[in-house]
Amino acid sequence: MSRISWLTAICATIFASTTPLNAEPAPAPPPFAGFYQPQGVDEIGWWREDDESERRLAASPLVIRDEKLSGYLKEVLCRAVGDDRCNATRIYVMREPTFNATMSFNGTMRVFSGLLLRMRNEAELAAVLGHEFGHFESRHGLNRFKAARTGTDVLAWGALLASMGPSYDTRRTYQSMEISVYGNLYRYGRDHEREADLLGLGYLNKSSLAPQAASHVWQNLMGEIEASAVAKGLKKPKFNAIAFTASHPPHGERAAYLTALASPDSSTRDYGAQRYGETLAEWLPTFLDDQIKLNDFGGSEYIIANLAKDGWTATLWNARGELYRTRGNQRDLVHAVQFYSNAIALDDSLAIAHRGLGLSLFKTGERTRGQQALARYLELAPDSDDAKMIQMMLPQETPL
Amino acid sequence: MKQGFELEANSGKRILVFRPSVSVGSQSTGGMFEPNAEWTETAKSNIQVALTDLQARLGNEVIVAPEAYGEDALVVEEHMALFAAVSQAVIDYQFFVGNRLPTKKRDNKADVFDWSLGDGVSDLPGADQADYGLFIFNKDAYGSTGRKILQVVALLGPGVAVKSGEHVGYAGLIDLRTGDLLWLNADAAMGGDVREVDGSEKRVRQLLEDFPGSDIGEE
Repeated sequence: MSRISWLTAICATIFASTTPLNAEPAPAPPPFAGFYQPQGVDEIGWWREDDESERRLAASPLVIRDEKLSGYLKEVLCRAVGDDRCNATRIYVMREPTFNATMSFNGTMRVFSGLLLRMRNEAELAAVLGHEFGHFESRHGLNRFKAARTGTDVLAWGALLASMGPSYDTRRTYQSMEISVYGNLYRYGRDHEREADLLGLGYLNKSSLAPQAASHVWQNLMGEIEASAVAKGLKKPKFNAIAFTASHPPHGERAAYLTALASPDSSTRDYGAQRYGETLAEWLPTFLDDQIKLNDFGGSEYIIANLAKDGWTATLWNARGELYRTRGNQRDLVHAVQFYSNAIALDDSLAIAHRGLGLSLFKTGERTRGQQALARYLELAPDSDDAKMIQMMLPQETPL
Repeated sequence: MKQGFELEANSGKRILVFRPSVSVGSQSTGGMFEPNAEWTETAKSNIQVALTDLQARLGNEVIVAPEAYGEDALVVEEHMALFAAVSQAVIDYQFFVGNRLPTKKRDNKADVFDWSLGDGVSDLPGADQADYGLFIFNKDAYGSTGRKILQVVALLGPGVAVKSGEHVGYAGLIDLRTGDLLWLNADAAMGGDVREVDGSEKRVRQLLEDFPGSDIGEE
């Protein structure tokens, strides 16, 4: 019995490490220590595992292979963390419509396309890339592995000892130890996130971009989550509550401390919204399409409205039309027709808008106008995948 | 093994070996995998040597698949993943009786082995130089000292059995013309310490023990 309480005490101290966050701007990052090579059997082992996995990733169909896009991301990373540091990692853009980016042991950074859709300028992207780089520079992956190993080791012995004295009390002590070990592991992970945020802001304060953007990322995400919940008729999410298994600090907390960590005199710096918009323009229709297919009406509507803040484009009207048409209630189709028409008014050569318009009109009973729109679609995109199917919806010419 | 497939001993076939997936490490006291790069590298080269050796004894020539670039690399990667998925399906649904895919029920009853990666394999780099393709997968976790102590104490104390170490391996042979899976061997408890030359030979021998046209398993 006493031995078990003693073990509980150990594991409580093993993970007792928190990053103090005060209201000061984040300090400059430590001087660049040169290219890092893994050290010790664990780190070398994980890097090798990671090298194999990266080799597979490089040939994965999920990766978007666009030199312009990946070149730009690399450029933004270099602008964020500095030219000396940025060569230590490789960025892969994954075609995956959710908001995420990850960093692994050996410096493989995966950036999801859903993240790129949600960023509104270069500074926001730089904030996320800088955060991920912070994980790499602080070797968080390795530390977390070691912590998890220590934790599970302790639990293995704890379980063994508990099974040797099978009374109600030992059982209960073991269970509370289990909860405390896992709770500490999750908290340890969240502290890593806070530490990476601190480092990320350190880079950003030193860079030429506005560090205030880091907080905007989270404010924007909270806006989206709320919009999504509202559209589903759910309660407003709590942005400051920490769940037991939460991997990251709550969005509200992050938004608040990231504002405090940004150096106040740099708020007039460049956000790079135009550069960002221009580079992403080519991919925007694809990313929007992926987002719409997530079937998150409120969230998608929020993202589209956000992108349209600087003015509606044909792509955005079309995306909104697609969003309404795919939800597909009769009331939605009426709006979809309007949105597609707006898109066409701005750019008549946007084939996909004519398609959406035609299909929506068919469903609202305006067959003739629908056929006109579909005919225009086939005229603009005769080789599209669905050309034959659309052809069947048009009035058939009598064969000669 | 696929019915009707026979590989005569000493028939001088060329076998293309795809980059073997080898991962060696230890198992922590709590049961986590701790990769060890040095063991992995040693095991990899040991396995390669043992493979060439044993295939030569069978009268087959081993060709290492060339490094692929660009589009080729994507195709190779896709086929590696496809092989992993197909062989997992074979292990789950054909090797273990009672766990059947509805579409494979009749095959299983008649003991038919009919799986394929599709004829796309003939376009893999190096496929034109060889008759068969060989895929190899190995994952080894050796029980750490802590795990072994835990194992012993658990057995002596409350009499609980704790597993120490994990040794999974499988190997599969495909026809590089049709993509048909000709032979698959899978074992979740392989022998042979791949960190040693002798152990690797034992491991490869076990993997190839009923390789078509083989008599090496009996040694």
